[in-house]
Amino acid sequence: MLAGIDYAIVIAYLVGVLLLGVYFRKFVHTSRDYFLGGRLMPFWAIGMSLVVSDIGAVDFVGAAGQAYRYGVVVANFDWIGCVPAMILAAFVFVPYYWRAGVYTIPEYLGRRYNDYVRAAEALIWIVFQAFGLGIIFWASAILLNTLMGWPKGVSIIITATITGLYTVFGGLAAVVMTDVVQMIIMYIGAAAILIMGLISVGGWNGLMEKVLAMGPEYQNHFDLILPADTTTPYPWTGILFGLTFVLANAYWIGNQTIVQRCLGAKSEWHAKASMLWGAFLKLFIPVLVMFPGLIAVVVHPGLENGDEAVPRMIRDMLPPGLTGLLFAAFFAGLMSSVDSSLNSTATLWTKDIYERYIRKGASDRHYLLVGRLVTLVILLLGVLTAPLSEKFPGMYVYVQTLLSFFQGPTLAILLLGMFWTRTTPAGGLTGLIGGIALSAFLYWKKASFFTIEDPFLYISWWSFVGACIMTVGVSMITRPKPREALYGLVFRLEERDAALQAKLRNRLSRNR
Amino acid sequence: MLNFDWLQSVSTGAAKGIIISLFILIGIAVWFLKKEYIVLDVESPRPWHNLKWWATGVLILIIAIYLYF
Repeated sequence: MLAGIDYAIVIAYLVGVLLLGVYFRKFVHTSRDYFLGGRLMPFWAIGMSLVVSDIGAVDFVGAAGQAYRYGVVVANFDWIGCVPAMILAAFVFVPYYWRAGVYTIPEYLGRRYNDYVRAAEALIWIVFQAFGLGIIFWASAILLNTLMGWPKGVSIIITATITGLYTVFGGLAAVVMTDVVQMIIMYIGAAAILIMGLISVGGWNGLMEKVLAMGPEYQNHFDLILPADTTTPYPWTGILFGLTFVLANAYWIGNQTIVQRCLGAKSEWHAKASMLWGAFLKLFIPVLVMFPGLIAVVVHPGLENGDEAVPRMIRDMLPPGLTGLLFAAFFAGLMSSVDSSLNSTATLWTKDIYERYIRKGASDRHYLLVGRLVTLVILLLGVLTAPLSEKFPGMYVYVQTLLSFFQGPTLAILLLGMFWTRTTPAGGLTGLIGGIALSAFLYWKKASFFTIEDPFLYISWWSFVGACIMTVGVSMITRPKPREALYGLVFRLEERDAALQAKLRNRLSRNR
Repeated sequence: MLNFDWLQSVSTGAAKGIIISLFILIGIAVWFLKKEYIVLDVESPRPWHNLKWWATGVLILIIAIYLYF
């Protein structure tokens, strides 16, 4: 399927990214350099890295496949499912994380609540990231096998070697700076297929006319808002309550893989700006990644599996050269997901578990070495567990479903911790554990409670509500931390206290 | 109740209105933040350092998208 020039482009891309990533090794002297890029990174690089880390190689095909099946409603995940949450993150959470100087979200939770909450949250993320890596490798290997005919083992080994080398040596700075290149490649590759596709269907107006003329089942294909009683998994109620209020916020303010790069910003302003720049870039993702699925409705009608849409368009539309660029974009998506996952999991393990519970007070050089070794171990674990996905075909869905159990409760304790001084450590721990249990119960009994087939959006919402109620309830009957201990951890607390003290002083001086 | 059955009578047009109102509310909330908080560690703030404008720009774009689709 690939011509010589396509192979040349893919190989040039892989070698270029490897060299660029390994170059950053010379800037890594301390664990802070390794885990947080020395806190020297500019907003533009972080924003680009945020966007590309969120899109994997499989999403290229999967998201277009969903758009083929359900229409533009899928774009909600990148529009309303990102922009409001990224603005909240930019102005409230990220500045407080950055000021606190933390390396991880569990570290923030540990300071705000206690070590139990920190350890629970860290372990949950480590387990899921470690399992998730194998699944990412396998899903991408299948995709590359289908598209390029590469043996699955070969693409896993190539990706693991390249990403492993630059992540182990260069740390977060290498991850972010290679992500910048990967984002540019990804946007150019995706734009190529979009433009060629639009030309073939007579432009945007031609696309709309042709899709809408295909029958009643396509009448909602250009509607972002679907009725509450739709049979698709995307009713507007689920999009608003489950996605916008819970999953999106949990992802953009509570996901270590995402937030870690903002913690490496060179100033608080850069940390804030990176999220807003990322939100702007995010607006283009549905256009580039999902719209080819809409074009395929016209070009390749009647496909039983929507995931075949993009591979067929590549085969039929793209000339040699552009095909290679698109494959480089697939690799970019895959490698950006793998490097982010590796770096964040190594940080969680080293800072929240190893440094805290296994070996306290060791030298910084020691933690740097541990971080690098852990990165390597997780990578090997991912490569070795990747073939398990073949033996357990539903594993990807199970891991994603299990991960969604934690999103609502994590968001609940983050929000209450950030905005309410009365939230107590016992309340936070109860909300986290109880909320996860509630998610599991709702999922187990989903047929009794929900009418749609896959109610993950609704489960996220109700587990969030349940976790909030549990956190507030237990907080009301347990002892909160002293206010001074919460300075820098609760939104505008020092400012509010300073204003209150000034008011008291004024009143006292007037009374005298 | 867990399926939001009580919202099933709300039309998609009204739902779109709710969502766009949410974007507008976020925009208003952003403008209520003090400028000193936005440019806290910028030595000599220029107009483009004011991230309220950045947020407003992104919100205008997303409102346009939701109005179109």
